[in-house]
Amino acid sequence: MIPEPNFGWTSTVGEVILGATRAEGGTRSRSYRIGGGTTLPFMEKGITSPSPLIAFEICDDSRFWSPIINEFCGDLIHDPGAWAKTAETTYGADLVRLCLTSTRQRDFSDIPTLGKTVETVLASTTLPLILEGSNEPKIDSEVFLKCGETGQGERLLLGTAEAGRYRSIAAAALAYNHSIIAQSPIDINLAKQLNILLTEIGVQKDHIVIDPYTGALGYGFEYSYSAMERIRFSALKGDADLAMPMICAPSDSLTIKEVREADTGVRNAIAVEWEFATSLAAAVAGAEIVCVRHPDTVKRLKAAFTGLKTRSGM
Amino acid sequence: MALKALDIYKLLPKKNCKECGDPTCLTFAMKLAAGKADIDICPYLDENAKSVLGATTRPPIKLVKLGVGERSFAVGDEFVLYRHDKTFYHPPGIMFKVLDTQSEEEIMAITARVRDETLTRVGADLKFNGTAIVNTSGTADAYAKAVASVEKTAGLPEVLVSDNPAALAAALVLCGSYHPLICAATQENYKQMCALAKQYGCRLVVRAPALDALAQLTKDCVAEGVKNLLIDPAPQTLGDFITRSTAIRQLAITRAVPDLGYPVYLDATAFDDEDAAIALGIVKYSSVIVTSPLSPASAKAVLTLRQNIYTDPQKPIQMNPGLYRVGTPGKDAPVLMTVNFSLTYFTLQGYLESSRVPCFMLIVDTEGLSVLTSVAAGKLNETLIRDAIRKFGVENEVTHRKLIIPGYSAPLSGRIEEATGWKVLVGPRDAAEIGEYLHQEWKP
Ligand code: B12
Ligand code: SF4
Repeated sequence: MIPEPNFGWTSTVGEVILGATRAEGGTRSRSYRIGGGTTLPFMEKGITSPSPLIAFEICDDSRFWSPIINEFCGDLIHDPGAWAKTAETTYGADLVRLCLTSTRQRDFSDIPTLGKTVETVLASTTLPLILEGSNEPKIDSEVFLKCGETGQGERLLLGTAEAGRYRSIAAAALAYNHSIIAQSPIDINLAKQLNILLTEIGVQKDHIVIDPYTGALGYGFEYSYSAMERIRFSALKGDADLAMPMICAPSDSLTIKEVREADTGVRNAIAVEWEFATSLAAAVAGAEIVCVRHPDTVKRLKAAFTGLKTRSGM
Repeated sequence: MALKALDIYKLLPKKNCKECGDPTCLTFAMKLAAGKADIDICPYLDENAKSVLGATTRPPIKLVKLGVGERSFAVGDEFVLYRHDKTFYHPPGIMFKVLDTQSEEEIMAITARVRDETLTRVGADLKFNGTAIVNTSGTADAYAKAVASVEKTAGLPEVLVSDNPAALAAALVLCGSYHPLICAATQENYKQMCALAKQYGCRLVVRAPALDALAQLTKDCVAEGVKNLLIDPAPQTLGDFITRSTAIRQLAITRAVPDLGYPVYLDATAFDDEDAAIALGIVKYSSVIVTSPLSPASAKAVLTLRQNIYTDPQKPIQMNPGLYRVGTPGKDAPVLMTVNFSLTYFTLQGYLESSRVPCFMLIVDTEGLSVLTSVAAGKLNETLIRDAIRKFGVENEVTHRKLIIPGYSAPLSGRIEEATGWKVLVGPRDAAEIGEYLHQEWKP
């Protein structure tokens, strides 16, 4: 008899809840409980554990978005509500990640409009929402409070906290019971440190999702892959400060040279291949959420995850 | 389980005849224990010793070489489950499938593509590795013809895919001595397949969906005298693949089931999304992957993923520090400083070449870190740059004293000027803008 492979894990990845249904105090059609893994991804004995979730990223100012996506998605890019709805009904995403790119304009201060955009998106999709706030420390506090308030009860996932910049986002998450994305640059120790900082100011462990930072394929992914595996294994070996689910966003994929400089005939295909290969490998390394920007990537990932969850009887 | 040198020594003939190339049986035992020798080198082992030592002393995953000549490649000989524990050594060979029902032109075109297509990334030429010739017709004649067309086009490693021993025999007459891989031996046909593999010195894929059957089959094939095996756990779903391949790797490297200690074969064409199967094959321990000829987009992504996963993350690919020339720069040509991370070097170099401005690249030793990373880590600093200017004799190469630095290292510009006495010009952040920058801004 062949023995079962024994990896020697003793612990499990912690869980985080995203989204809230009406019964749970929100308005989403579903909520997700992510994490809970007990071994390597897709190696669970029973295959009842959930597939990684696919988040479709949209933005509120397409000037800061990839021209490839802008072209592919057409007029939707000017209407975050309609775009979010399409992500749910047509693209088949599990989550919507709204990136408030309008905050990247010089001297941005139109906080009320941000609130309206978030409201519109929440009203247009029934999926749980990830909210990517400002890129500018000066307005963090206002932006995150507004987002947090607008999404009260919805158990949003707010992004992104970094080592030098986490207080505003943590304050908003604590005040309105949302979860946080904690990002560190491809380094297990920095990831741990940031989680400790966040827990020290009161963020519960089951409200933190680790973003180990995903370098695009060919541009740092060799590091990201191992950083993710190591974070996952630390969790399984019992390090509570790293026992959070992970999110991966290979969003740089659309700006790298291979994609930017590709002939127009193949550029779209390369963009999808790049997002797809990076996201799939990241899911195998331990990501519970993968974020993509190209609608075609969503479909391909869905099918691949289903395949990974299916086992023929032996 | 791994045996200790002394346990191995007990099983050796103790003749100290030196025929194994070692001075004594004990030193030979020590090599075996370290996985650095093959028991077959000792001619005097008895059957019992052979069977006990056989699988436990060789590397936990057997090294298997495919093909001959320049494009031959080796797989197996891996030691870890996780690349951060050490590194992965032998990247999988990716083989494009041709069918013996295709026209000769098609077959030759695909083979020529494998022969010629190259993706150059960070100084490495990435290529596909060979062809897998499938006996779709079922006949020996058509198969031999297809193999002949492949042989005529290129001397690449080959996988011969057929259930028909007669077809294989006809093909092996043509390419048998080039170490092709025969696919596949099963419980039913392994004796015939082994006979062919033995006759021609081929490598052999062993296929069974259950791991215990697979282990039994490798043992049977070894008993038939064929040792250069690959194993195909015959996955029907991606889930089958990842669970079986991971289990095989784990059981092999821990030597829990030495009979599974062979490289894994993956037929990606069995899956709806071949790219998904290939990507999983690359990250999860496949050694030979058969695929349909890939689209240009898939080809790039697959080759890049393979390069990434088989790069040691602890040792980024580095350039030797020094003064490099782009074109034939004169005494008044610009000098551009950058780091010795090869991705950075080749990115910048590519843009400089297309700018058509002859220039010097001063590569400083940041231990392989990129510009931003080395600035953040404090590895890129003014003394490093001052010393590099001296060491590589930059002052003799140009008459001006102006150094262009990457946009991301702008915060260092004042300190570099002080330390070197050179005037520092802060270039753009993105190397894509370097051509425009040089054309507009550069005056010696
Ligand atoms: C992969 C990566 C790593 C890898 C190392 C990769 C390597 N070999 O350098 C690892 C995981 C080891 C790493 C470590 C760290 N990293 Co890091 N890392 C990255 C990542 C994802 C990609 C870097 C990369 O490969 N870029 C590609 C190369 C080609 O870029 P480049 O060298 O800058 O070259 C470009 C330009 O500078 C320009 N250029 C180059 N030369 C020249 C010359 C001239 C004259 C001109 C004009 C232009 C020019 O052209 C190139 C193309 O445009 C970046 C994030 C990002 N997307 O940039 C973070 C990043 C650089 N890392 C960061 C940090 C903080 C670190 C650490 C300090 C943290 C840590 N993890 O401990 C360490 C430091 C390393 C150490 N030893 O202590 C930060 C830097 C923050 C900052 N703004 O200063 C970044 C930006 C991530 C982030 N958002 O926080 N990192
Ligand atoms: S060949 Fe065999 S018997 Fe002779 S020294 Fe080596 S191990 Fe001993």
